Amino acid sequence: MESIALAYLAAGIGAGLVTIGAGYGIGRLAGPAMEGSARQPEAAGDIRTSMIIAAALIEGVALFGLAICILLATV
Amino acid sequence: MRTHVSALFAVVLAFFLLPLPTQAAEGDETLDIVGHAADGYYLAFEPFAKVELPRILLEENAQGNLTVGVYGTTAGALRSGNYNLIVEENGTPKTLTTPSEIDGAIESGKHLYGSLAPKQGSIVLDFSFTRHLVYGLLAMLVTALIFIRLAQRYKRGIGREEAPRGVFQNLFEAMIVFVRDEVAKPTIGAKYERFLPYLLTAFFFILFANLFGLVPYGAAATSNLAITGMLALFTFVIGQVYGSKEHFKHLLLGPEGVPWWVRPILVPVEILGLFTRHLALAIRLFANMLAGALVIFSLLGLIFIVNVVFGASVAYGASIPSVALTVFILLVKLLVAFIQAYVFTMLSALFIGMAVEEHHEDEPAPEDLDDGRGELTPEFGGDGTALEQRTRPQTPEPVAS
Repeated sequence: MESIALAYLAAGIGAGLVTIGAGYGIGRLAGPAMEGSARQPEAAGDIRTSMIIAAALIEGVALFGLAICILLATV
Repeated sequence: MRTHVSALFAVVLAFFLLPLPTQAAEGDETLDIVGHAADGYYLAFEPFAKVELPRILLEENAQGNLTVGVYGTTAGALRSGNYNLIVEENGTPKTLTTPSEIDGAIESGKHLYGSLAPKQGSIVLDFSFTRHLVYGLLAMLVTALIFIRLAQRYKRGIGREEAPRGVFQNLFEAMIVFVRDEVAKPTIGAKYERFLPYLLTAFFFILFANLFGLVPYGAAATSNLAITGMLALFTFVIGQVYGSKEHFKHLLLGPEGVPWWVRPILVPVEILGLFTRHLALAIRLFANMLAGALVIFSLLGLIFIVNVVFGASVAYGASIPSVALTVFILLVKLLVAFIQAYVFTMLSALFIGMAVEEHHEDEPAPEDLDDGRGELTPEFGGDGTALEQRTRPQTPEPVAS
């Protein structure tokens, strides 16, 4: 395989890995958050806020990875 | 025109299916597709028209003097004879110098995807209007008009002494109160009022910029890293300018109570973390808005992939799920437009709050400082449960497991 093909392959695999990572992270986060707000509905607002913040931070890291994948795919 | 569009899609598809040197020949055409998501020196009203935007170029001429070149359009700049056009051809840049070559490029519309190079001297800075800039300015204008009109109404007393009137005021008061009570107050604390104007401006500017991306022929200014980077820079500067002594102590000397030998490790991490936080703020908004556009192109591109692989009749069938998915993604984008505006404002408030926060053990929690001064319409501010919840002592109920 030539280098351009390898770069495209890397971009595709990288995008998949990033998605797996972000999905696992946000899943780990959202599951307990939902459980928590079901057990204690009056804390739902606070839980939602901190969940969104943490999810946004996870998403930020995932998007860094995706930006690199886009760069790889557009060389 | 439809055949033209499908030909372009076929080119993109070939580009993705066979990423080999033969496909690089169509490089400038693929830009046209991605060009809808990327920035450009024109407003696309295809299939009706393409409006070229003014070019403003700061140049250094052969004598070393700075000059400004202002042209109504890119074509006008090229016809003035002061510039060569550099276009990508077969993957390599090619410089067009003679008027006939340049006229040919203008005829085929290629000049919008090339770059200008002055015949003498060089370009120092390119201040040209671009599509994202135009829609960014439009979002700014809309935000300004709405806020000025709202402020005039509150000045007249509507909403302060009596209930807010009309759809316009009620709609925006709901959002403003949301940003104030759910975003600024819990994250910044007592000094939230000082930062509320910035947070509201950021929220509504991002919201309108995102929504302009969903309007036909529009473009999302927030899918441009320069614009999101500037917004993140505002958050950074505001955080540092109003930063408390504790914030800088924490940043430069490390957290309190850690052994001295950990500090050389922690201080660079803290400083890097500060910059990364704000960089991530810019990248997040940018990547989210760009990703939505790219996903839509990919889903529509499926039709043309199917056309090449399985033939035209299957492609007609494939267009039904493809268009349905595109509609779905567009609705998701509408949701994302609001969520990203919220997330950006929330994280900006959080970072500013982290910077301005002062650690005093005896200081009451920020929730207790709510004296209702900032209420626009205290007696009409919802059913009061939000306020009640905040002031009510939190008694954890027994967990039923």
